[in-house]
Amino acid sequence: MTPPAIDMSSTTTTTTTEDKPKNVGFRVGLGDITPNNLGQLKRLNTVLFPVVYAPGFYKDVLEVGEFAKIIYFNDVCVGAVCCRKEPAAGSATEQNLYIATLGVLAPYRRLGLGSEMLKHILEQTNLPVAAGQAKIVKVYLHVQSNNEEALEFYKKHGFEVAEKCENYYSQFEVSDAFKLEKIIN
Amino acid sequence: MRDLPSKEANLFREILKCYELKQYKRGFKGAEQILKKFPEHGETLAMKGLFYNHLDKKELAYEFVKKGIRHDMKSHICKQTLSGHISLETEELKGIFGWHVFGLLYRSDKNYEEAAKCYAHALKYDKENIQILRDLSLLQMQMRNLEGYVDTRHVLLELRPQNRQYWVAVAIGYQLLGTPELGVKVLATYEETLKDLPSTPDYEHSELLLYHNTLLEEVGDFQVALDHLDTIEKQVCDRKATKEKRAKYFLALGRLAEAEAAYRDLLALNPDNMAYFEGLGKSLGLGSDRQTAEDEVKILEMFKQLQKEYPRSNAAKRLPLRYATGEAFVKVTDEYLRNMLRKGVPSLFVNIKTLYTDSAKEAAVEKLALGYLTSLDKSKGFDNSGAVVEPPTALLWTLYFLAQHFDYKRETEQAMGYINRAIEHTPTLVELYMAKGRILKHAGDHVAAMGALNEARELDLQDRFINTKCTKYMLRADNMAEAEKTAVLFTRADIPNPLNDLVDMQTQWFSLEAGESNLRQGQIGRALKRFHQVDKHFNDYTEDQFDFHTYCLRKMTLRAYVSMVRLEDQLRTHPYYVRAAQDAVQCYLRLFDKPDGSESEEMEGMTEAEKKKIRSKQRKAELKAQQEAEDKKKKAAATAAETAKKAGGNAAAAAAAVKGDEDPEGTKYTKCEDPLGEALKFLQPLQQLAATRIETHLMAFEICVRKNKLLLALKALLKSIKIDASHATLHEQLVRFALAVQKSSSAKSLKPSVKAVVDKHWPELYGSHGQDLNAFNAGFIEKTKTQGSVAHVISAAMSAYLVDPSKNLTKAEELLFSVKEEKFGRTRTLENAILVQKTLKGFKSARQSEWKTKAKVWFPNAAAFQ
Repeated sequence: MTPPAIDMSSTTTTTTTEDKPKNVGFRVGLGDITPNNLGQLKRLNTVLFPVVYAPGFYKDVLEVGEFAKIIYFNDVCVGAVCCRKEPAAGSATEQNLYIATLGVLAPYRRLGLGSEMLKHILEQTNLPVAAGQAKIVKVYLHVQSNNEEALEFYKKHGFEVAEKCENYYSQFEVSDAFKLEKIIN
Repeated sequence: MRDLPSKEANLFREILKCYELKQYKRGFKGAEQILKKFPEHGETLAMKGLFYNHLDKKELAYEFVKKGIRHDMKSHICKQTLSGHISLETEELKGIFGWHVFGLLYRSDKNYEEAAKCYAHALKYDKENIQILRDLSLLQMQMRNLEGYVDTRHVLLELRPQNRQYWVAVAIGYQLLGTPELGVKVLATYEETLKDLPSTPDYEHSELLLYHNTLLEEVGDFQVALDHLDTIEKQVCDRKATKEKRAKYFLALGRLAEAEAAYRDLLALNPDNMAYFEGLGKSLGLGSDRQTAEDEVKILEMFKQLQKEYPRSNAAKRLPLRYATGEAFVKVTDEYLRNMLRKGVPSLFVNIKTLYTDSAKEAAVEKLALGYLTSLDKSKGFDNSGAVVEPPTALLWTLYFLAQHFDYKRETEQAMGYINRAIEHTPTLVELYMAKGRILKHAGDHVAAMGALNEARELDLQDRFINTKCTKYMLRADNMAEAEKTAVLFTRADIPNPLNDLVDMQTQWFSLEAGESNLRQGQIGRALKRFHQVDKHFNDYTEDQFDFHTYCLRKMTLRAYVSMVRLEDQLRTHPYYVRAAQDAVQCYLRLFDKPDGSESEEMEGMTEAEKKKIRSKQRKAELKAQQEAEDKKKKAAATAAETAKKAGGNAAAAAAAVKGDEDPEGTKYTKCEDPLGEALKFLQPLQQLAATRIETHLMAFEICVRKNKLLLALKALLKSIKIDASHATLHEQLVRFALAVQKSSSAKSLKPSVKAVVDKHWPELYGSHGQDLNAFNAGFIEKTKTQGSVAHVISAAMSAYLVDPSKNLTKAEELLFSVKEEKFGRTRTLENAILVQKTLKGFKSARQSEWKTKAKVWFPNAAAFQ
């Protein structure tokens, strides 16, 4: 089962040689989310996040184009990122991008896959927009307040804590969240 | 045509043209116009018939063509030939036109026998009619009347010696008759007549020369073939074929050094062709079945060199695993497995399991793979050296491999453990769910297996392969509705009944699986419909070769043509046909045994009241289904009519679509007069082509014994004995044969002549046991005791019961329960355990539930024992 439509241009081979033991090289590539592989995204989200997403979520994912992607590791689908565009308050020419989910299966973490996806999203926000379309000025997201790993990850990529949202995840034990954001020039 | 005035004669020419151009309606009108004035004009009558044929009025077609011949013979008319060439000679000849048309008519109905007769009639009036001779030869080839073909082709060659096709056809005829040396002579004579050879590459000439060489090869004198190859080489375009042939000839002639060079040369062209490696090995005197330790070292060394030479060749890496043993095997396999697991090759296990015929290799692979898992868990490497960190997918593919390995050994629990770990590791990988489904299937839980496959399918909806597999698992779980819904996701959507697309596309696996599901559910009519579909596909393949008899001669693709003709002769040995035939025979046997048909397996052993209840339930369901089908048909008809109207096209096709399936239940088959005769029709091709398979003769026995054809039954038994005298089912059949003879004998219906033959062969069948079947059975039990084969135990139990149902029941039951002993572990498969259960049911044994409990311990997942 070949994964659908991997953009080979974005496929990179990483080989680390500097420190022992030697890592074996692998292939990473981003792929589109289509009605045909939506099942894989659903499966990923079920495993990665405690939240159950409504059907509407998956409908929107199919319409945001480059702002929702699946990532392949050695041709196996192991992670995904899904964003949605929101109008910026009080402006018709600007909008915000909300990262709803970004996650990689546990065995495939710390291999740079999350960064690869985030880098892709940020690149996309920087692209010039067509006439009449709103420009993305801010990317933001929520992180559970005890998720140190995630906080560190986003800070590394230039995100800053904008506010603490108390009781944001009301159904969980740790219900507070941080809202992180990054302003796009 | 002289007998028509010029206006009508012109019109007649016009309608011939219409026929050539397939303007049948226009031609038909023209013919009617002529017949208005000359109602008895034979040729026109015949043409009118031909047009009727193409306008789907078969009966009228035959009527008019016959009428045409009758009038044609009375009148003096000129010679006309159809199809391609219309010669308008004015010779006075009788009837030829009509007979030719009659032949065409039969041919279009695939009645080749009658068509050939018509052509023969036509030739009576004109022995040298090229068109008719050609048409006749095509029929002869199609019917494999090879002697006739050679004769006809000789006549044609004499008439047109300047035409290459006619020479070649005679050579082909001789080759297929098994006399390639005559074919060689024909081609040599032809080649001598050629004055100037083509100077530029000429593919047709090249193919002719290579065909000539192939004939020489078939004659078997490789020196001659090699010399010939040298002389033609310059004119041959297919360089690869020349090289392959030369290497083969060198090898056959024992010129090993030259063979080696030739195979090395070929490997440079394609370092993944297994045959080249094999040839190279042979030319080095290696790779034979009986390999010494020294040979092994040499051949592994050879592959090492080749791997260096061709680092990208997969074959060079895989083949050493076949030849290596012991320590060397562990070493090469270790390297191979690591590479593949690191790369992530899903087919790895399928590739490796062929080595498991050698149990030492199986154990070695298992040890290696388990070692990888331990190390990967501990240090992320295949060994604990800590030198390399493998990607996380290495662990994933190792788990996948181990799951398949233990499933292959039917160690369900272990296999499930590994596959579940793999799914937990990477829950998005389609292959994992497929493997899980396969494990569950082997464990006997078809519903859970179907669930796993559906999960896999939903992960990747555009993958036809997984969709197909999923459909198959749904059919295995007897869930026809889901299966049909899933199958049509990948069929044409623009036809009223998308399921029919599967038939049009000759999707045999679907027909077979659906039919077998019907059979399991006791829907004999529906099942037979499916199996007849498969049979029809095979008929179509045979029909399809017709056009190639002319096409290949014209295009000079002779080697391919001959191999196609030979393939067609073997067509029905294909596993799909064999399976369909076996299934169909089983259906017809059941129809014969239980003519009321509807009794499904579940109903066996129920009381009448229970049966009645189930039957009425079935009837209600049927009525409902019928109603639904009716509604659906109406709807489909409406849409079909709509589309047809929109397309403005083919009214006949639209009408056919609207008509739909008139007999979805296949009552045509269940109501057949002679089920055993129908069964024989399926069996006959196998008797001809698969006579070395014991199953063929076992089936033949089942049919013949029911027909009470004792001699034919005897013949089948004798053939089976020759193939495998200790076959389990054969023993039971022997007992049944003896019982049939005894019954017939005591009813005084045994003919003395039959009895004499049976008596003569009796010792071959029953040894020294004479008429004492209990002793015969005891002998069989004694003989097969040490084998530990469940199949043989079932056969012995069945036989004991058949000999005396009341006295031997306890004994038979005891035999079946002996299967619990340790020594039967190897053959105590799920299939056999189910067979024991069915056998007990057949005995109406009181110990059925005891068996179920027993079997459930061995196969906790199997639906059959829940």
